[in-house]
Formats: sequence, structure tokens, C-alpha cells
Amino acid sequence: MSYDREMSFSRSRAFFFAAVALSACGPKEKVVKIAVAVPLTGDMGTEGQGIRRAVELAVEQANAAKRFPYKLAAAPYDDRADPKEAVNVANLIASDRQVVAVIGPYNSGCAIPAGKVYARAPVAMISPTATNPEVTVQQLSKDWIGPRVVFRVAPTDDVQSAYAAEYIFRRLGKRRMAVLHDKTPYGQGLAEQFQKAFGALGGRILSVDGISVGDKDFKALLTRIKADSGRPEGLYFGGLYAEAGLLLKQMRELGLDDPFVFVSGDGAKTPTLFDVSGDAADGAYFSIFGVPVEELPGAGRFVADYKARWGAQSLKPFDHFGYEAAQIIFDALERSGPDRERVLAQLRQTRHQGVLGLTVFDEKGDTLNKIVSMTRARAKDRSFQMVR
Amino acid sequence: MLVQQLLNALTLGAIYALIALGYTLVYGILAMINFAHSEVLMLGAFAAWALAGWAPAALGSGLWGAAGLLAAGMLGAGLVNVLIERLAYRRLRRAPRLAPLISAIGVSIVLQNAVFLWVSTQSLAFPQPAGTSAVSFLGASINGLQLAILGAALGLMILLHLFIARTRMGRAMRACADDLEAAKLMGVNADFVIAVTFFVGGALGGAAGVLYGMNYGSIKYNMGFLPGIKAFTAAVLGGIGSVRGAVLGGFLLGFLEVLAAGYIPNGAQWRDVVAFAALILVLLARPSGLLGERAAQKV
Repeated sequence: MSYDREMSFSRSRAFFFAAVALSACGPKEKVVKIAVAVPLTGDMGTEGQGIRRAVELAVEQANAAKRFPYKLAAAPYDDRADPKEAVNVANLIASDRQVVAVIGPYNSGCAIPAGKVYARAPVAMISPTATNPEVTVQQLSKDWIGPRVVFRVAPTDDVQSAYAAEYIFRRLGKRRMAVLHDKTPYGQGLAEQFQKAFGALGGRILSVDGISVGDKDFKALLTRIKADSGRPEGLYFGGLYAEAGLLLKQMRELGLDDPFVFVSGDGAKTPTLFDVSGDAADGAYFSIFGVPVEELPGAGRFVADYKARWGAQSLKPFDHFGYEAAQIIFDALERSGPDRERVLAQLRQTRHQGVLGLTVFDEKGDTLNKIVSMTRARAKDRSFQMVR
Repeated sequence: MLVQQLLNALTLGAIYALIALGYTLVYGILAMINFAHSEVLMLGAFAAWALAGWAPAALGSGLWGAAGLLAAGMLGAGLVNVLIERLAYRRLRRAPRLAPLISAIGVSIVLQNAVFLWVSTQSLAFPQPAGTSAVSFLGASINGLQLAILGAALGLMILLHLFIARTRMGRAMRACADDLEAAKLMGVNADFVIAVTFFVGGALGGAAGVLYGMNYGSIKYNMGFLPGIKAFTAAVLGGIGSVRGAVLGGFLLGFLEVLAAGYIPNGAQWRDVVAFAALILVLLARPSGLLGERAAQKV
């Protein structure tokens, strides 16, 4: 008897809550979600949070302009820059039928396994930042299950490190380099492409070493590089800012100063670098894909809107890529309606003129907009200046 | 190059040795591995960081400031370690050996996540004392910071030796390590001695955390894990429970890592393999470590 009463009580309470939840959403409003799967905590969290803010801004603008007959929402997920977590997150997202497309992951190491999950769903994913060629190339393999769903708005590492090699060889006039990478798909990919390109130009690679993400002490290694009989003129590092900052600091402590150059890629180019390196980063070179947002003719409006919405200090280096990915998805949504497979089909037809310029995807899903540029760190105001 | 590498190894080894001492002191008395020690070291660094953020002017940037940070880190970590012992280990002293071990792992995870959730999920800049400009010496460049780290570590080890060998409390610790029950029968307040041991071990860990933070200029919630596990290895290598063994093991591990990274082509990725292969070889030949004796005498 009492059992029955309890049942009916809890059931009526459930109905009550369901009714409240429904009425809160409004009677017929339909929600279409765009998932944002990036690191929101950990060392990469700063950049991931920036991308999340950029996507939320894009979504808010689209809702305010009543661009769609339904409500858009950004659904952020934290993959902690960890490939295992990225797969967990991808499974969660794939099972949420309200999600029509995914922006992310941030890291190549996460994008490679997560892409496989999204292909089985299938749901389209646009990575704003993953640059290892394998991220999209893997879709051409005959073991690939599902359609090709991976796109990206960042040019690949081969383009970036070929540019860096040419810059070091031609502009800086260096002929002998030591190479270091962090053994991740991103860092190692960048380093390998760099070796190839620098060798093809006629430069010499004196040594190649791998370090581990999370390592703190590189003094033994740097001491060996300094003592190398081939007299290296600089160090190329494929990796992220935490290790790059420590490398720079320990290089300077060992007396590896100007004219010995330090060159790295976009993954190390973030103001947070200066938290780790202090002034030691001054003068270091960082190749980036695209050009800094300040130099983009089409991005002035985005920068102003972003700063108005999130504050002047909150703009991070890759936010405009996240924003652009969102705009590309909106374009596809407009032509297709909120359906995963139709959005995917429309994304392949993308011709989007936006903050990055013109984006068109090739058959792999890579953008044809392959602009890369070189920046130089300035410790005084923790900035990166574009150099030519 | 050799002088430079030796110096690199000494700095790294000194930090490992300081951490290893924390493991060995606790093991010496309770025969348990305090797996939360890596978090004690992390909390020491965070305590110093908090002080630096709270009173930057009072500390200054010179050596006195560094000494202030060191003191804060030691005090903070020592107290945390005492608290951990009181809350998570004392009741388990007579429990099966697995219970305190699991409790220690639990404490470690809780502390790490507490800092992750409440303080910061990212690397934080750690103040470095001024005077880090490099000085050339025998073809090596040495900076004041490295010297200060070495000096502080060696000084603390000497203080620890004097404390254990010359003071009443040190004698009580040795007695408890020899035979806890017998020491109690002789009127030693075992609970108090154990608390002091945890304080001293934690303070050394906190000092290592602060020096580690200064050396690399940044701290993070999981910073304790890697040096913690390596220092634990160093303690086992030297013979866990033996104070001199911990110091020897710490320096040995530092040297092995630096030699592997510095002299083997592409050795940086093999560094840990070399170091741990050496550990396995040593343990196969001497299961109780280099200076360890078969359970009879521990400190």
C-alpha cells in the first residue's frame, strides 16, 4: 500500500518536472546544436576556451538576426587535449541527435581518433586548428568506415613547415639546424616535414630528438646540441607552448642566444608562452597558418564584436578559425535544413567568403586557402609581430 | 660540455634526492609508501606561490625572497603531510598493508583534483629569484639559480643528517624505525614521533617543490607526479628506508638521465628507458637497493 503511494508520488513529481522543463523551452521551439569539442581545461584550455567563446558569439549573432527558423545552441565539450577523452566526447556527441555538426577537436592527436567516431555517426566535423595531414588523409584509406566527414579550416603542417624552412634558409640565411619534437602527431609531423623541406633547399639537419609532453628538464639535451661539432645555427621545435617556453628559458640559461635562432609552429604561439618562458622568448620565430587576426582585412568586424561580447583581453590566437568554422556550418545549414547528412553534403559544396578569406574544401576536406606567415615574439608586451 | 652536463645532473639529482628523502623517512618508520608525497610536493610549491601572490613586496626578488618562498613551501607541505597522516593513515596503522597504500593513492587523487578544480587547471608562472644571468665557468654556463638550488638542497640534507644523528627527536625517530613497539615500551611517544617524521618528510618534499618551480619557472596541479614517481624510484634504487640511500639514489638517477639524454644520439626519448632499465638491473642484483639492508635497520 505504502509502496503504491510512493510510486504515484514520485511519478506525479516526474510529470510535474517534465511539464516545467517543457514550458521553459516554449511550446514548439526546436533547438539545433553545434557541438564544440576542444580542450576547456589544462594547458590547452586557454586556446580552447577562446574557440568556444568565438562559436558562442557566432551562435548568438545568428539567433539575434533570426537567421534560422529554429534556435541554435553551442554545446561545449571538454576533451582535455587527450585523445582518449576526445573519443569519449565524440561518442557522447554522436549520440545526441540534436547535434548537426561539430567544431573541433583542437589537437591533431585528438582529431585523428575522433574523426573515426564522427564518420560512423555520421556527423560532419570541422577542426579549426588540427594541422597534421593525417587528420583528413586517413579518410582516403580503404579501412575507413563511413563517409568522409572531416573538414578543416587550417592549412596542413607540410605547408607550414615548408614555409618555415624556406624562411630560415632564405631570409635568416641559416644552413645548419637541430630539430626537436614532442612525439605527438602534431609536433612530430611538423618536425618531419620541416626536415624534408630544409634538406631539399640544401640545408643540413644536424640532429633530431624527441621529448615528451610534460618533460621539464631539457638541459642535458640542449647542452649536447650546443656542443654539436656541426655548429648548429638554430633549433626547430615541433610542439606546444609549455615545452617551447621551457626550452627557450633553458636555452638562454645555457648561453644559446642570438644569433642562434629558435623557430617553432603555431601550437607554441600563444601569449601563455610568456608565462612559462618569461623574457627568454624574445626574438623567437613562430610560423602560423593564416595571418594574425589583426592583419586580416575581413576580420575587423569579428574582432570588434568579440571584444564587445567577451572583453578586450579575451581574444586568443585561433578564435577567428572557430568563428569561421561556425559560419561555414551556418551556410550549409541554410541550404540544407537541420539534418546531419544533408549538412554534410552541403559542407562539401562550401564556397564561403569570411574572416579568413575564401574557403573551399578539396576532396579530402582540406581548405584550399593555404596562407601561412611568420611571426616573432616580443616579450615587452607579450605579443607576436608579423615579419616578412 | 662534460662540466655542464655534470652540473645539470647535480641540480636534477639534488631535487630527486630531496623528494626521495620524504619517501624513505616515512617508509623507515611505518614501512608504508606514502603515495601522496608527490601531491605534498605540489602543494608546497602552491603554498609558496600563494605567498608570492599575496605579499610580493615583502618578499622581494633576491635570495631572501627565495628563502621566504622556500620556508613557506616547507611549512605548508609539512603541515599538509601531518594532516594526511592524522586523517588518512593513523587509523590504518594496524590494518593490512594494502589499506594504507590505497588510502595514500586516494589522498593523492583527491589533492590533485582539489587543486585542479579550485586553483587552476593550467600552468602558473612561479617567481624566480633575480640573478639568473649565466656565468661562464670551465666552458659551462652556471646561473645563480642553479647554484642556489644546489646549495639549498645540500644544506637541507646536511640539516636532516644532523637532526637525525644529533637531536633527541632524531634519536627517537631512529628508535621508532628500529622497532616501533619497543620504542613505545621505552616511553617514546610514537604518535608524536611519527607526526614529526611526516612533517620533516613533507617539508623536504615542499622544499623540492619550490626548487622545482623555481628551476622551471612554472607550476601545475599535476607537477608532482613525474618527479614523485622518479624520486620513489630513486629511493628504491638507494634502498628504501635508508637516508643515505635516498640521497645516493637521487643523484644516481639524475646522472643516469642526464647521461642518457646528453650522450646517446636521440637519447632524450630513451632517457627514462635507460634510467629505469638501470633500476631493474640494480634491483635484480641487490633486491633491497644499493644501501638498503634486509629490513633489519631502516634509518
